[in-house]
Amino acid sequence: MGVQIVMDRSGDTRHEFDTADVKAVALAEQRFRELTGKGFRAVALGKDGSPGKLMRDFDPTVEQSLFIPQLQGG
Amino acid sequence: MAHMEDILRALLRRALSEQGGEARALTGITIESGRRRLEPRLCAEFSDGYRAWHSLRPSVCFAFCERHGVWDIAALRGLLLQETRRIHAQMLRELRAERETQRRPWFAALVRRLRNSFSRERRYGRHLPAMEAAFRRHFLEESSEAWERGLQLLEANLSPEQRQQYDASGYFDVTGGTSGKRYRIRQGSSMNIEQLDKKGRRVCTLCFMPAGRLVTGDVMLAQKVALEVFEREALKVANKFY
Repeated sequence: MGVQIVMDRSGDTRHEFDTADVKAVALAEQRFRELTGKGFRAVALGKDGSPGKLMRDFDPTVEQSLFIPQLQGG
Repeated sequence: MAHMEDILRALLRRALSEQGGEARALTGITIESGRRRLEPRLCAEFSDGYRAWHSLRPSVCFAFCERHGVWDIAALRGLLLQETRRIHAQMLRELRAERETQRRPWFAALVRRLRNSFSRERRYGRHLPAMEAAFRRHFLEESSEAWERGLQLLEANLSPEQRQQYDASGYFDVTGGTSGKRYRIRQGSSMNIEQLDKKGRRVCTLCFMPAGRLVTGDVMLAQKVALEVFEREALKVANKFY
């Protein structure tokens, strides 16, 4: 199982998908493209809070990916 | 140090124990000289005008100065304020945890007041009133469920060391993924990141956040991940305050 965690005003929205299900993976990839297209940064979360890895392309093997909205200066 | 901490805790306990004490933000700390029969006193001042005093023995003050190598009033006040804020944040967290376990109906209201207190507490001299107003308008109205979810997501993605530090002090340190520099992320959503030097002293304050009025936990996690994973991009958009 993979999960895409999208940060939003409700805290976060989680989209789980079965990595063995072709349709679900395609949907997850589509979501990845839509979000990164909007400026979200996708990061493959590390284990136990260790630094993650920036995802330039969709990778269905990543267990947990976090989508962070575009950064702005405060 | 332990004795000074006891005094500071006693001062803060008094301020927190009164009605509305949790919403009170610490604004300053002063040392009042003794007059004839009276001992010198430590005075903590709060945002609503409330003041709390505690007698301060010169020997305790001297021990504190000696321990930190601080020998002028301005530096001593700054250090005391920093120390008091740390203890205040810690006591507020303890209070919040204690009340959370009791699961009373007014918990949501308490969380709101705590957030208010935290946001004020992290205020810096250069902090723009407009920024605070925007912060209040956008973030303090968020639901307590969203706030909790954000905090849970943050805590689930902290390393054991970061979590321990966050629990104890209300902040955690991260290492920049590209530069290897140290940053300290404090509780808050704006003006809450400090770049530290090798000795752990503040070099500057950074201000950046994800777009979209996210809850505090999400903002802090986004800041952590950004500094660890795409530090250059984060620094490019961050405003720096020296």
